[in-house]
Amino acid sequence: MKAFANVHPAVSMTYFLSVLLVSMFLSHPVLQAEALLGGILFCATLQKRGAALRDIGFYLPLFLMVAVTNPLFSHNGVTPLFFLNGNPVTLEAFLYGISLAVMVIGVLLWCKAYSEIMTSDKFLYLFGKAIPKLSLVLSMALRFIPAYLRQSRRVSRAQKAMGLYAGKNITDRVKNRMRVFAAMVSWSLENAMETSASMKARGYGKKGRTNFSLFRFRSADGVLLGVCVLLLAVPLVGAVAGITEFTYYPRVDNIETTPAALAVYTAFGLLSLLPFILEVKEALVWNYYRSKI
Amino acid sequence: MELLQVENLSFRYPKAEQNALEEIGFSVESGEFTLLCGPSGCGKTTLLRLLKKELAPVGEKSGQIIYQGAPQEALEDAGAIGFVQQNPESQIVTDKVWHELAFGLENMGVPTEVIRRRVGEMASFFGIQGWFRQKTDELSGGQKQLLNLASVMVMQPNLLILDEPTSQLDPIAAADFIATLQKINRELGLTILLAEHRLEEVFPIADRVLILEKGRILLDDDPRKIGPRLSELRPNHPMLHALPSAVRIWQGLNIAEPCPLTVREGRDFLERHFTSRAETLPTSEIPEAGETAVELKNVWFRYEKDLPDILRGVSLKVYRGEIFCVLGGNGVGKTTALNVIAGLDRAYRGKVLIGGKPIREYKGSALYRNNLALLPQNPQTVFVKDTVRADLSEILETMEIPKKERAARIQAVADRLGISDLLDRHPYDLSGGEQQKSALAKVLLSEPKILLLDEPTKGIDAFAKQNLREILRELKQDGITVILVTHDVEFAAEAADRCAFVFDGEILSADPPQKFFAENNFYTTAANRMARGLWKNAVTCEQVIACCRAAGGRQ
Repeated sequence: MKAFANVHPAVSMTYFLSVLLVSMFLSHPVLQAEALLGGILFCATLQKRGAALRDIGFYLPLFLMVAVTNPLFSHNGVTPLFFLNGNPVTLEAFLYGISLAVMVIGVLLWCKAYSEIMTSDKFLYLFGKAIPKLSLVLSMALRFIPAYLRQSRRVSRAQKAMGLYAGKNITDRVKNRMRVFAAMVSWSLENAMETSASMKARGYGKKGRTNFSLFRFRSADGVLLGVCVLLLAVPLVGAVAGITEFTYYPRVDNIETTPAALAVYTAFGLLSLLPFILEVKEALVWNYYRSKI
Repeated sequence: MELLQVENLSFRYPKAEQNALEEIGFSVESGEFTLLCGPSGCGKTTLLRLLKKELAPVGEKSGQIIYQGAPQEALEDAGAIGFVQQNPESQIVTDKVWHELAFGLENMGVPTEVIRRRVGEMASFFGIQGWFRQKTDELSGGQKQLLNLASVMVMQPNLLILDEPTSQLDPIAAADFIATLQKINRELGLTILLAEHRLEEVFPIADRVLILEKGRILLDDDPRKIGPRLSELRPNHPMLHALPSAVRIWQGLNIAEPCPLTVREGRDFLERHFTSRAETLPTSEIPEAGETAVELKNVWFRYEKDLPDILRGVSLKVYRGEIFCVLGGNGVGKTTALNVIAGLDRAYRGKVLIGGKPIREYKGSALYRNNLALLPQNPQTVFVKDTVRADLSEILETMEIPKKERAARIQAVADRLGISDLLDRHPYDLSGGEQQKSALAKVLLSEPKILLLDEPTKGIDAFAKQNLREILRELKQDGITVILVTHDVEFAAEAADRCAFVFDGEILSADPPQKFFAENNFYTTAANRMARGLWKNAVTCEQVIACCRAAGGRQ
């Protein structure tokens, strides 16, 4: 990892939104397959091998479940494969089920990659500008929660070691929880007083506060953003032109192979493979430099 | 040039009967390192907060505070006076180190590029690069306080005010922090006004010392003159106990020569005036092995399966009625050992015997009924009610003491610890030493036979320490066994019957303090480091003075 993690948040956000937009709303089998493939490869670069194997154990059953559910309940379509309890199980419903599963798993994988890459500070950086107070409040909350949990653990251990409600029965436990909570309320107030003193001492509350962040928009980010927008534009134009329309019922459409359609497939294929391509490029460049030393 | 002038400053809190500050007058020169000390409750914090107008407490104020020739009210720039408070935790505002450093500059509306440079500069001055991108929550106490200092320093203050910044730190982190302050003062020429009660390291590096007593300035002088002037005022002034060991020994010997401040000067001074003709002190005998109160046999502990061992085969015997001190550096397992004895953590191998009975055989809260109690490092965690009295009453309730008896018992323990006038206050409003005593009162009401104390001297001043020592002596006389974990070598030397040294999850030795410290080379008291060339086992200031007197002068 993680060539893509070092990209400017605005670029990675645009990227994730474009892939999710296309794979969720343009239900074309080729595009969905591409999104799934891209998602798998991207997640593979983000994880260690053990975690990836565990993921297969989770996603594969889910895939089968979604794929099988549709033909069991939907009996549209004109090509019956066999009959179950007197109801036809059709080829069209079966294929639609698979396409649904591809889409669901694809989107899940992209969301997983999103949460790995778009950490809270990146999100805050992007949306903090629109609502300046929000980013500070969230940052303070992220600071406060672990401190609160630690203190509440300390209080509860201190109480136990004095023999106060240290028993294992339910009344003792509930009473102890309530007492600790009461103490934590005073602690939080006390803590807030000191924090606000520290904020005032450093000039908080003046007009014209700025928002600092460690992110820089480099020229490479600009190039990547341009590529992203271009690769997104092609399938969108295709969608408007009706190329990406695809129906399963009553009969499955043929997959178009006109030059325009091929352009759409290629563009989105590149888009969904972009992080993987970046990662491979980075690894190659690194090995190249290593070999030079 | 005078940077700050305080003229005739008096202050009274709303509804208070007395002034918290009374006609304070002093001035601070630019570039000066001024030390402010005095017993807790003498008005140090009130004075310091008044100097920073954003933090000034509400109340009646008279007199003037003049900053750079203009009244304080005219000062617009919040960054001009930097302020660092006592508690390292609660001053931190944001979740990331870099964001915390930038916070003050963001408030001032400084553009991103300038912030980037200033933050980078300060981070490298303070050696923060290594943890620049870390979460603030993951830092150690020393790192947190350093971060607080650095995030004030990025605002480029002309005056730095610090209110007991090291009181919550262990001695090693505290010494590092003080060294950083000295560096700032020397290398950047920054004016510093520091309130402290641990004076051993700070006293020698200060240019001037202000002693505050009951809201008035008692002394304002060069550190070398403070000792003599203090004893002129009152021969046995309680503040004398808080001074560095070198000053106390010099004071006790009454020799007409400039007062030494550091260990090196003290050592010189002793060797110039005394020879080791006299017999060295008799080493106190190892107390007779009585009944065993607590025993650990080859105890191993780790927090989780994949984490390294914290305790690696600890074996230990503590006898009934003994004051047993466990010493050692940071993260060697001192507190963990205490938690294992207290039944908060379970050893995965080895035996823990409390009063001869395996700890596992105590069911429910039986371990804590009239048996064993732990006073944790942060006494605040002991309180869960709105008044000290309610907290004390609660523990009696769980012990099923009849209601009629409770008031009398509370009064008895309060009298014993001297907290009668604190009973109706909110526990969080008390000072460190007062909290400590009130927490001890709560613990004592459970009538323990074994008392466990975790860092009891942290954040309390010299008077409170002396007080604690006396209380421990009394408890010992009542037959209570005390095991305490501490960093405070001086306290251990004066209070303990036996001291043990922990390193790398093992207890290395357990001896009476004189023998224990005489065998150590640097992990020993300042008094011992000064005198060890003459008398190896003189450990406390009193013992060194006694040896000197017995030996007589060199002439």
